[in-house]
Amino acid sequence: MTRYVLRRLAFAALLVVAVSSGSLILARLSPGDCVTRAGQSSGETERLRARYGLDKSIGAQYVDWLGRIALGDFGDSCLYDRPVRELVPERAANTAILAATALALATFVGIPLGVVSGSRRRGPLGAAIRSVSILFVSLPPILTSLFLVFICARTKWLPIAGMRSASVVRGDEFADLLRHLIVPASALALPLAAMFERLQSQAMSEAMAEPFVVATAARGVPRARIVWRDALRVSLGPVTSLYGLVVGTLLSGSFIVEVVTAWPGLGSLMLNALRGRDVYLVAACAGAGAFFLACGTLLSDLALGAVDPRAAQ
Amino acid sequence: MTRHAGIVTRFSALVAAIALGACGGSSTPAAVAPATAPARGGELVTALRTDPRSFNRLKAQDSTTDLLTILTQAKLVRINNTTQEVEPWLAESWTTSDDRRRVTLKLREHVAFSDGEPFTADDVLFTFEAVYDKRADTVLADSMQTAAGQRLTVTAPDAHTVEIAFATPFAPGVRLLDNLPILPRHKLGAALKDGSFARAWSVSTPPSDVVGLGPFVLTQYVPGQRLVFARNPHYWRKAADGTPLPYLDKLTVEIIPDQNAELLRLQAGQLDATVRPLGPEAYATLRRAGDTSRVKLLDLGLGLEADAFWINLKPGAFAGDPRAAWLQRDELRRAISMAVDRKAFADTVFLGAAEPVYGPFTPSNRKWYWEGTPKVPYDPAGAKAILATIGLVDRKGRGVLEDAKGTPVRFTLLTQKGRAPLERGATVIRDDLKKIGITVDLAMLDGNTVISTVMGSQKYDAVYFNPLWSDTDPALTQDVWLSAGTSHFWNLEQKTPATPWERQIDELMAKQVASPDEAERKRLFDEVQRVFAEHVPIVYFAVPHVYAAISARVANATPALGLYPILWAPDTLAVVH
Repeated sequence: MTRYVLRRLAFAALLVVAVSSGSLILARLSPGDCVTRAGQSSGETERLRARYGLDKSIGAQYVDWLGRIALGDFGDSCLYDRPVRELVPERAANTAILAATALALATFVGIPLGVVSGSRRRGPLGAAIRSVSILFVSLPPILTSLFLVFICARTKWLPIAGMRSASVVRGDEFADLLRHLIVPASALALPLAAMFERLQSQAMSEAMAEPFVVATAARGVPRARIVWRDALRVSLGPVTSLYGLVVGTLLSGSFIVEVVTAWPGLGSLMLNALRGRDVYLVAACAGAGAFFLACGTLLSDLALGAVDPRAAQ
Repeated sequence: MTRHAGIVTRFSALVAAIALGACGGSSTPAAVAPATAPARGGELVTALRTDPRSFNRLKAQDSTTDLLTILTQAKLVRINNTTQEVEPWLAESWTTSDDRRRVTLKLREHVAFSDGEPFTADDVLFTFEAVYDKRADTVLADSMQTAAGQRLTVTAPDAHTVEIAFATPFAPGVRLLDNLPILPRHKLGAALKDGSFARAWSVSTPPSDVVGLGPFVLTQYVPGQRLVFARNPHYWRKAADGTPLPYLDKLTVEIIPDQNAELLRLQAGQLDATVRPLGPEAYATLRRAGDTSRVKLLDLGLGLEADAFWINLKPGAFAGDPRAAWLQRDELRRAISMAVDRKAFADTVFLGAAEPVYGPFTPSNRKWYWEGTPKVPYDPAGAKAILATIGLVDRKGRGVLEDAKGTPVRFTLLTQKGRAPLERGATVIRDDLKKIGITVDLAMLDGNTVISTVMGSQKYDAVYFNPLWSDTDPALTQDVWLSAGTSHFWNLEQKTPATPWERQIDELMAKQVASPDEAERKRLFDEVQRVFAEHVPIVYFAVPHVYAAISARVANATPALGLYPILWAPDTLAVVH
């Protein structure tokens, strides 16, 4: 197992470097740069290009960047005039908080509902759950977030933007964070929960038809115990194996949700970096995203091994 | 060159002009008389799209840094956005020499920075030292020149007097100083000495280290979330009744990247004012919401800038291209100007909230707008007749103009995608030009790419974009008018004027900038606009109305056209509480 984890960590490192490199090169290749401004003299533009390494060829800039990241220097952001390594960690942590909350919410809502709808395929409850799921699974996070923001703006039930209130009473910080989390996390979680429900429902339905489940029922074991213990354990494989990819989806979905709900995460930072052609910041944000994806895949594989020992082997 | 395009625009809209002497100025805006006595205290919440790039305006010119500077710093003089005139600020008065080469400014006494340290002429000297310091690498170095390479010479005969000498006669005089926040030597002097000024007051600096002469002090910055400002206890201005300004206790600027989210928060009562002007679409959104008891919508009148269309006039830009014979001809631009229905353009592009415009300055620039600007009629037949004079006719009867060699009249128009007025405007231009046989291929690119193409590679046919005026006074936008200018967009930074008419404008502007007589300056600039209209290097079609929105609890606002319609005068803003 240790060897497996180490191998996956090495793969994660490789993935981060590959994604960052690709992003840096693509950002550099795309037209425009971060230093040219209307009304700026050509001399000033050239000076700024030299400062941010844009006067070099892509290859030379890339080699220079690789050499520097080996020393922990990810370059300076030309948008913020600050080292990239100062900008990314705080935003990445905020995105991680949002993504983890959304994932937890989607898991604790989607999987139980999937179990219910998968084990009661003919009842009205199952049909109702399926209908709602189909609605939410077809809604992209941007629509969900705009809808939730609109509702909260009208009702004033919850804050509709930001991560923390400007003036928070001491001791109320966590509750304040939770209040701010509800809208963006729900916007991300609802489509995801619907997807989990659909997957889990299908897997549950198949599990309920397994011979060992039929045999267990024939032995007189209560239905609830069969559903929530035996069949659930068998049916978790498909959802669990999807978790790694879901983390990636969460990150890409969180970009737009972060912008709409003013969540100060990696998404809004990367959007600014892309718009401003801030090559080093784009590379670092993409690298952070790849890191999350690699971690998500690893955790997903470990979880899959836990629920299905065959997968671990 | 003077100030860069796109930094600040100012306009008089609501308040009668404060008359200042041609050769000097003094009044007492240190005391202000509001219409009703606003209550002191309370908090105002507003929002901007992005984080500041720096806390040091000499190092960054993004709008968040600019607003932060307006809130926390002060200048020697200020351009009053409602009057468009210069008014005393840290300098309580000034005199200008007859030859317009020297200005003597008398500084206010008993003024202190937000940390209590006194403000003196030495801080002014320090600020200029920093601006021009090579290692400091400031963004205002080019702005603080009266022409290319002509820096100001600043001396301080005593602690409260500053003398500024211009290399050549400079009629706008102290107006140039509106762009320059005065920084504290006692906080930044060491950084300038040891060469670390370029990194001083970065956004990772503790807010308490950022001191200034503005109405507020920065108390908190949470990246990606907000900037919080509190009243500067040492602020020097007082209301007419003696109430110390600012009225507000606290001002919060939330970072909200999306305009829809900003407008929703405004409607929900979670924001008190929009920082930047609103276009017709945002105005329509708020009007549809209809809750006028909570949000007040303000029509600031026609804007100062119209979106601009120009063709690449750089000599040799189309070398080897069969279109070279006619693409840069004046006649083509004149025909384009006649072929676009400006009224329909205003209705389509700006939802009816716009007026046709025919020249670089709109009627909102009351002092410098030329009343004689020719009102080009919508005349497709006339446009075709002009094009026929340069050999562009529909030779095959297919509705497509061609030159004598059979090359179709066709060009690519770059514009910025994601900005609805520019996208719609480019589409209207394409459709109207198609009616006279000109084929326009639209290329919608992101703003950064458009700017890089125009300013960098300069490989393009035509552009439809929105360059901003940095000032209403043309002497402070010489970078647009002069052929060597960095904002002379159609043919940048020429070593010698490429055309006789550009040489003529250069000569007129040289006289205009130097003339001590304001009437003569106006006459000379009218002549510049006449030459401009004759050769139409840039075609303008319509100028939209500009709006601002404030919550009903905001009091004592003096809305005016400019980059910050409400917050340009933050010390007199108040809230009902």
